Amino acid sequence: MHALFQKIAALPWDQLPQWLFLIPGLLMLLAAFAAVCLRNLIHSALCVVLSFICLGVLFMALGAEFVGFVQLLVYVGAVAMLILFAILLTPASEVQASNNPLSNFRLSSALHAAAGAAVSFLVLAGLLAAIAFSPRAANAELPAQPAAAPVALIGENLLTYTLLPLLGIAVLLTAALVGAALIAKEDSKS
Amino acid sequence: MNFFALLKDFLLQFLGLFKNLETLPVECMRLLREFLTKLGELCGITMPQWALDTVSALVLIVAILVTFLVLFALMSVFERKLLARAQNRYGPNRVGPFGLFQPVADGIKMLTKEDLVPRAADKVVHYLAPIVMVAPALMLPVFLPFGRGMVAVDLSVGILAFFALGAGTELAVFMAGWASNNKYSILGAMRAIAQMISYELPLVTSALVVALVAGTLSPTGIAEAQSGYFCGFLPKWFVCTPWGFAACVLFYIGALSESNRCPFDLPEGESEIIAGHLTEYSGFKYAIFFMAEYVGMFAVNGLLVTLFLGGYNAPFPFLEWVPTWCWFFIKLWAVALSMVWVRTTLPRFRIDQMMQFAWKFLLPMSFVTLLAAAAWYYAGQGPKAWMSPAAWSASALIVLLSYLLLGTFCFTRRHSATNRRYLFSE
Repeated sequence: MHALFQKIAALPWDQLPQWLFLIPGLLMLLAAFAAVCLRNLIHSALCVVLSFICLGVLFMALGAEFVGFVQLLVYVGAVAMLILFAILLTPASEVQASNNPLSNFRLSSALHAAAGAAVSFLVLAGLLAAIAFSPRAANAELPAQPAAAPVALIGENLLTYTLLPLLGIAVLLTAALVGAALIAKEDSKS
Repeated sequence: MNFFALLKDFLLQFLGLFKNLETLPVECMRLLREFLTKLGELCGITMPQWALDTVSALVLIVAILVTFLVLFALMSVFERKLLARAQNRYGPNRVGPFGLFQPVADGIKMLTKEDLVPRAADKVVHYLAPIVMVAPALMLPVFLPFGRGMVAVDLSVGILAFFALGAGTELAVFMAGWASNNKYSILGAMRAIAQMISYELPLVTSALVVALVAGTLSPTGIAEAQSGYFCGFLPKWFVCTPWGFAACVLFYIGALSESNRCPFDLPEGESEIIAGHLTEYSGFKYAIFFMAEYVGMFAVNGLLVTLFLGGYNAPFPFLEWVPTWCWFFIKLWAVALSMVWVRTTLPRFRIDQMMQFAWKFLLPMSFVTLLAAAAWYYAGQGPKAWMSPAAWSASALIVLLSYLLLGTFCFTRRHSATNRRYLFSE
């Protein structure tokens, strides 16, 4: 009994947190795969939500609690609801039946796959380039322990260095809101 | 030294802890770790750090879960009692003394009921919805400081985490409504989600006001910022300031709505849509929805206590001998019972009134409290604002003027009456 205890205690438990990320990581990949494969659109959307949640958990596991919780708040709380509502409000039969010019433009499934592969390759290449050319990549050694209280730092950066992009996004979102209100208003008149 | 001697030693130490009630819960956790280390030594192994951490985390989880489930059970019986008293009846008084064991009977009844799943329902999503509902609700209390130094997860972004996990409820309501494959369910879910999204804005904005003035997003930091007294004996709670009072009322209304309490219980409006997204749920799944709602209500009330009512701080200096965690739970019960009072007093909103109230009054008002808090902070030079007449008058003026203006011009009976359209009744 003692020997068993000692054997269990002697396992490399210190490395466990580094490997625990596999659980949300694999779950995220699985959910993303299921989102593409499932037939029911609502099921796909719920799988996308699951992968959002797993991504948030991954951020938290990396010590970026702020980003992780913002991921949950924005993507699970808002974007997921938006997707679900959009699916509910556009019945599939209606989309196919409408004389939408796009519906005549039917691509073969091989072309679909090629287009998807091209887009995902471009996104991947963009991300890799961003990582390779980031200032962090130049000096490879990262601080072992991330600095405490990064929230204040994020806020400060947001309102000084990145103020212009922030304002740009704000204008974009306002425009989107106004546009959505306009579309909704025209819809209710008819 | 054998096992029983060790046990006796620690039991005596445990009893000794009761001399100081203030530090009792924290010291219990320390004692548990010590006991485990000694037990390991007795078995001939050094207890590794991860094992101690895991065991104390599990004990903490169980303690918090039990506390909040007991609160839920007590609340369900007290609420029925109080409602009955308000309606000139006795309420539940058959099971146990004064009907106190009513929750046990309810639980047994719910467990033994048949669990019906409609044939047309989406089985998997229908099954998952109560789980998605209850998991975030049970996670919410860990971010709250129950007493000085008594917080399970001390995050620097605790308030953000609270609202982020709270967002899971909307998803669960949607899943429940859609998977039931019933038009009352989906309509109820739509209503519930519209209501939650609308009332989340004033709720979060009024919490943001406190975070701005306290200069931190951590609930512990905010509770600590409200310790101390001004004018010698008055509590430095944020609810005592003009902006804090306005934000507290807004937060209270938002909390009522987020936990689907009357007068905001439209999602379950029996006379209109049966029970909304709960229509197709029975047995223990239904009970789980209720449990999530009540635990979520207690968690949001706990956040209200932390943000505005001074958290675990005593109201007056001469009451400081009462342990801080007692103060937290006294305040929690006061807020929870006031919600029962509101429920007995006010009738249910109509849906268009509810949406107008959120968007035309609560949201502008919560932005105004942001302004008033800024005026308080800058007119009073930061933390010195408590004794500064300029800060008090500036923020009181902003809150009062905008309240009167909003009430007179933007949110009137005339406006809501002329714009009303019954889209679905024709």
